[in-house]
Amino acid sequence: MQHVALTSFDKERCKPFFDRLTEYFHQHHHSEEQDAVSYEELLYRIRRPYTPQMLDMIDEWMGLERRDWREDAQREVLLSLYAIRYPDTLLIESLTEKARSDIRRLSAYLHFTHHTYSIWDEDSRKGLGRLGIEIPDTEHADPFVYGAYVTAIELLKDVAPFTCFLEHDVPRQRLFQAALAAYGREA
Amino acid sequence: MAETEVVESYPTNFEAWIQEFNEWQTRIGFDPSWLGDYRFDIKFDWDTAGGEIEFGDFLGMPKWERRMQIPQQNIRDAIVSMVNVQGDTEFASVEQQNHLLASAPTEYDRKSALRIMCEEQRHGWQMAYLLCAFFGEQGVREAAKLLERNAQDGTRILGSFNEPIDHWLDFFMFTHFIDRDGKYQLKMLSTSSFKPLAASMGPMLKEESFHLGTGANGLRRVVKQGVIPCALIQKYVNKWASTGLDLFGTDDSSSAQWAYVYGIKGRYDEREAAVEADREHLNEASRELYFQELRGEMKRISKVRKEGEPDLHIPSDKFRRGIGKYAGEMYTVEGEPFEGSQGEYEAYLASVLPSEEEEEQLVNEYMQQEWIQYREWKGD
Repeated sequence: MQHVALTSFDKERCKPFFDRLTEYFHQHHHSEEQDAVSYEELLYRIRRPYTPQMLDMIDEWMGLERRDWREDAQREVLLSLYAIRYPDTLLIESLTEKARSDIRRLSAYLHFTHHTYSIWDEDSRKGLGRLGIEIPDTEHADPFVYGAYVTAIELLKDVAPFTCFLEHDVPRQRLFQAALAAYGREA
Repeated sequence: MAETEVVESYPTNFEAWIQEFNEWQTRIGFDPSWLGDYRFDIKFDWDTAGGEIEFGDFLGMPKWERRMQIPQQNIRDAIVSMVNVQGDTEFASVEQQNHLLASAPTEYDRKSALRIMCEEQRHGWQMAYLLCAFFGEQGVREAAKLLERNAQDGTRILGSFNEPIDHWLDFFMFTHFIDRDGKYQLKMLSTSSFKPLAASMGPMLKEESFHLGTGANGLRRVVKQGVIPCALIQKYVNKWASTGLDLFGTDDSSSAQWAYVYGIKGRYDEREAAVEADREHLNEASRELYFQELRGEMKRISKVRKEGEPDLHIPSDKFRRGIGKYAGEMYTVEGEPFEGSQGEYEAYLASVLPSEEEEEQLVNEYMQQEWIQYREWKGD
């Protein structure tokens, strides 16, 4: 999957996106729905040792329903947040079905504990599609699909011109993921 | 060693220069093991460099890719001088800052500072490569000098890069004010008629954005925490803002004008600008953009201060200037002419800049507490 995404990459096609990246980022990240102030708070408040309350805070910011997980599933996820090392995504496969079944939630936990992982977002996925990087839709945290999504955003970071980076106060994965979300919605 | 031997032993190419660089790291106390798996790569972004000269008297002609394509020796000299100054600042900042790693307030700050130092060294490395690869013996000689001048000895080319950075508040001020100036200088060179120089700027600017972000973010965390009084922070703002403004050079600068005529250094907003450049006031125009940016950023930083704390603001661009039309003039932080003698002005300056006692209090009292909002390192 990652191999296909990278070999079919067309930098020219990204130009309109890169040209307006800052604008797209502001459109999404600073929208009322995204609540940029609370996002920034979470950058500081999510820290080791991780607790279920921290996961609650992330859920709340994401606008997700309360987790309906057994205690051992929750513990397993918390432990995985310590064990995982970017860019590994295979660890996700070892989680129980209940935890794996919600990729958005899991990706947000990964993002706030390791900024190098990106939040899974349908609009961002569509944004990547507009750039010629087709990532399959999924309800589950499939390590290969999520890995391709994260890698594609990493690739964009690498090839983007410096004008995309001049001023931002969020991790770069968030900068690109948020911009992609606005770009995907525009389609 | 005799003086002639020093000159004779100058490195002969970039590979030899790398040996000198390794010795420089040891000399300044930067342990190479701190680099981990970081490598000093030469990076070019040829796409953003552009193919045609974008401004000046050679407008529309192909950008120069090699030394011999540069039409005049004085233009070559001007390019060497620009690369030299840029490289000088990169190595200087590492000399100024590396001692701070041992006293970082958090692991996040230590790793951020280390990343900055690695990237500054890479920028210096890139500039040395340009000198060695494109400018023959003259370039190799200048590259060697990049490692000879030293911030601690006060021999770096620009004043700000000889200033001691004694503690972490100064570090955040430096990265906020001086690295922000760096962003301006790099962007002004990103449209250069000398293509390898222009192509070097893209990757450097990507990295530089993290540096000034570390400064702005660090200051916000300090202000938010509320342990160091804003009145004291303001004094450091007064100190560093004027230093940053001076880095843009003299008013009515003829060298800036020539650099524009040659197409080697443009305006900060060269590609976006809708109007012709005022060639006689290029430094003033860039400085004004920088000044307005500083004011906007300081408003953001000030917003998070605790209730009852005074507002933080950027002093007037006339205050405590060492370069330009206000150089050496007596102005208040508000930009009003100071009414009084030179001695009274010295006393006034002492009241609006950090004193030795306050510096002592900062380090031994405030910085002994939880003086900065905690942040965990999570990569970026």
